[in-house]
Amino acid sequence: MRLLKIAFLNFFFYSFFIIFSLTAYVHLGILICLSVIILPKRKILKFIRLAIRWYGAVIIRILPWPFVRLNYKNFQTGNLKPPYIFVCNHRAASDPFLMAVFPYEIVQIVNIWPFRLPALGIIAKIAGYLNIREMPYAEFTAKTAQYIKEGVSIAAFPEGTRSRNKSVGQFHSAIFRTALETHATIIPVCITGNESVPPIGSSLLHPGVIKIHRLAALTWDDYKTFSPFKLKNHVRNIIAQEVLIMDKTK
Amino acid sequence: MTEQEVIKLTNEVFVDSFEIEKSKLLPQANIFVDLGLDSLDVVDLVVALQKKFGVTIRDDERVRSIRTLGDLQQFILTIKKEIGK
Repeated sequence: MRLLKIAFLNFFFYSFFIIFSLTAYVHLGILICLSVIILPKRKILKFIRLAIRWYGAVIIRILPWPFVRLNYKNFQTGNLKPPYIFVCNHRAASDPFLMAVFPYEIVQIVNIWPFRLPALGIIAKIAGYLNIREMPYAEFTAKTAQYIKEGVSIAAFPEGTRSRNKSVGQFHSAIFRTALETHATIIPVCITGNESVPPIGSSLLHPGVIKIHRLAALTWDDYKTFSPFKLKNHVRNIIAQEVLIMDKTK
Repeated sequence: MTEQEVIKLTNEVFVDSFEIEKSKLLPQANIFVDLGLDSLDVVDLVVALQKKFGVTIRDDERVRSIRTLGDLQQFILTIKKEIGK
């Protein structure tokens, strides 16, 4: 029965993924070309980032349904306004699509490979996504600080690579240095259940429930006395503890 | 400066600048994997070590081959000996 489910999931997902993606790229391409004529650059970027969010929502919420379901919980309290820095653990290639659950204008900090994806890589570049592996640190901080100033939230996966087991790897400090410079609100995000959507080294999706927990925000007042090293480990510990609980509960 | 003094002062840098527990400061501890520093943290580490020991290590090529806390302590000991000659 499980094998049948996997077969159904992958057949339907990839069939519709190709059709939907081709359609979306063509339409988005046309819209971008038209918007260049009538809209200022800032509005075009906002539109492209919104389009990426819609695209991600379809890819992660609709196409794999009902075999893969999303369980999103928001534990944030208070009335903090964006921009935020979302700090997430990283287990699967589907993580960047999951950022679609957050209803904000977001730029993601990604590795080299997403930029190499056909069409999507080009759109990510146009949207201003940052490739941390191929960018000098000074340029990275300048760009992230500029995004925060413009009200654009940032999503980062500071482990830098997908975890090969269920532990949370050591964090890189770059994004936390940006937080300390810009005083931005940090939101720890825990993602579990997606380690087989798809597993590392495979494109085969497995049925399951992906859990996303948006934890309580850390404001500037919470971390202003921290060093970058202390801040990254503080956030890592918060995420690691929650991930442990999430993995234990169904 | 003796080896024990170098070890003590190096460990102090990790405790004071990075708030790493003393129990984790073992000679075989990998600076990146076990202690959790990244390349940017290493820049902070180098600055703190230079201040602590009064040496210049930033442009020393040997820094690149350091992996463990023990490697680092031995490197500083070597530098201190070279300065003393």
